[in-house]
Amino acid sequence: MIRKSSLLVAGLTFLLSGTAFARATLPPLTAEQADKGEALYGAACAICHGTAMRGNFQTPPLRGTFVARWANVPVSELSDYIQRAMPLMAPGTLSREDTIAITAWLLKANGVPVGKTPLPSDDKLLHSFKFPAIPAGSYKAVIPD
Amino acid sequence: MGSKPFLTRRKAFIAAGALGTTAALRRQGLISSAAAAGSELPPYIEIPHLQPFLADPNQIADIKVCIRPFRAAGPRLDVERIGDKTVFHNYGHGGSGWSLSWGSANIVIGKVATTLEKKVAVIGCGIIGLTSALTAQRAGCDVTIYTRDTLPHTRSVRANGSWTPDSRIALTKPAGPAFADLWEQMARFSWATYRGYLGLPGAPIDFSDHYVLSDKPMTTEDIEKKNAGKIGKGDYASTGMPQSSSEFAEYSDRITDIIPQAETIRSGEVPFGVAYGKRQQMMMYNFGAYGHLLLSEFFQAGGKIVNREFHSPEDLKSLPEKVVVNCPGYAAREWWNDKSLIPVRGQTTWLPPRPDLRYGMVYNGSSMLSKSDGIMIQGFDLELGEMAGVGNSFEHPDRSESERAIGVFTELFNRNAVKKG
Ligand SMILES: Cc1cc2nc3c(=O)[nH]c(=O)nc-3n(C[C@H](O)[C@H](O)[C@H](O)COP(=O)(O)OP(=O)(O)OC[C@H]3O[C@@H](n4cnc5c(N)ncnc54)[C@H](O)[C@@H]3O)c2cc1C
Repeated sequence: MIRKSSLLVAGLTFLLSGTAFARATLPPLTAEQADKGEALYGAACAICHGTAMRGNFQTPPLRGTFVARWANVPVSELSDYIQRAMPLMAPGTLSREDTIAITAWLLKANGVPVGKTPLPSDDKLLHSFKFPAIPAGSYKAVIPD
Repeated sequence: MGSKPFLTRRKAFIAAGALGTTAALRRQGLISSAAAAGSELPPYIEIPHLQPFLADPNQIADIKVCIRPFRAAGPRLDVERIGDKTVFHNYGHGGSGWSLSWGSANIVIGKVATTLEKKVAVIGCGIIGLTSALTAQRAGCDVTIYTRDTLPHTRSVRANGSWTPDSRIALTKPAGPAFADLWEQMARFSWATYRGYLGLPGAPIDFSDHYVLSDKPMTTEDIEKKNAGKIGKGDYASTGMPQSSSEFAEYSDRITDIIPQAETIRSGEVPFGVAYGKRQQMMMYNFGAYGHLLLSEFFQAGGKIVNREFHSPEDLKSLPEKVVVNCPGYAAREWWNDKSLIPVRGQTTWLPPRPDLRYGMVYNGSSMLSKSDGIMIQGFDLELGEMAGVGNSFEHPDRSESERAIGVFTELFNRNAVKKG
């Protein structure tokens, strides 16, 4: 499911001017949301996906190939998926708010910067943002190893 | 001999003087760290009678010399931008390249995947390049390998070829704690991948009984840390080169939950009439079958190999692919001008295959492993430990080293034959 996109091209252009992503297209999120999501991740997700989010032989990573699988997909689809399917041992147990926080954390962990506007909980609004690809060349800039 | 379980996990056992430290053996890829711990073999397990092999230098079929691509900070896995190319490095795996290959490729190709580029160039066709190429194919990429040599001619096939995931992979301090976590991820992923290649025709990946034999009791001592293989003053930080064995990282303790542990052999049952012994079941790679399998997989998935030598990073401009995975091993020193690579010379000696022998052993400064492509013999330096070969890029056979290593087994077999009358 690897798609080339105008976003990637835009990202590359921005890279030259020192910015990893084309900011306009990025989903917004706040530090508070991401922090909350990180804590929830530690409690509900890390047991399978690992504290470093790298997954293991059976469990998919939530960085790297994860970006390839979700790039350019509406963020609402990711949060819907989390809410309906995760955590695998107790799907459907996350509240909407917690789901959004975890989504925010996944975005942040994959290089989306935090700002003043929160990631919206409204499905329609969320649908208007796409999960960003990481432009070639900016990997190091956005994701620490 | 007292046959109590006498080992705690963190303490390496040593067989006073004769064997050197197990940590040293392990780092040289001769045994895994699990052999440093372990309980006694239960009574229901019998040690089989082991047949000797003809240990005579006139049986030498090959002497292979190789340079381990060692980096103090561990393998280079960062990303560089050269013109319109994004270069994902994957080199510098020391004495652990075979063992960590799949895990390292998994990390690097994970990064590659984020670019959404479908066309990927891989430079190098050693074990790191080939596993990177296969991992990229499995991630849905079209892969072309650009390489000076294909696998059979690479340094990779001049290795020993066993599971040695932290054999001179890094120095503890320069690598830091973050690398230890990354190492664990790589080791676990590789181990699981290799398990998927077990039980195939030609045994590309196999398990073998590995014996650690010693004339003297193996005692618990932690002295290895202090002075083993101390060759110079200072350390890596002050001299730019490691100066003692104790600087080399050990991470194997992190994965003992999945690696079969060594067990003490009951007194009187140790092979070849030796007084003390341990046995461990170890994973190994049969280069011929495994290399053939990987290349076939690569071609079957539509991969292409272009024979090409690169001379400077500028050369990348001519590639049609935007994304490049750089896997040149030690040659990164020349082609990428990366002086952080430290050569660590190693030599293996090959006797004709003995498929009926299904064991390996370490005794008195020499190790052997019966593989499908021959009996591999490797000597090691009891004094220098990890420091043996460090800084040495003399990639030519030293026949006297091979003869000495074989001689250890000649002596062992002869002595045992006389003992038996
Ligand atoms: C004696 C010895 C024993 C070892 N035992 C073990 C063991 O038991 N277990 C283990 O896990 N590891 C072991 N190792 C370590 C392991 O062999 C290495 O870590 C591994 O082979 C490195 O693989 P590589 O693919 O990076 O490098 P290489 O095998 O050197 O491959 C490099 C590739 O890049 C190509 N290349 C280089 N320069 C250029 C250029 N300028 N242009 C185009 N192509 C280029 C080469 O042709 C080659 O195809 C051992 C090493 C030694 C020396």
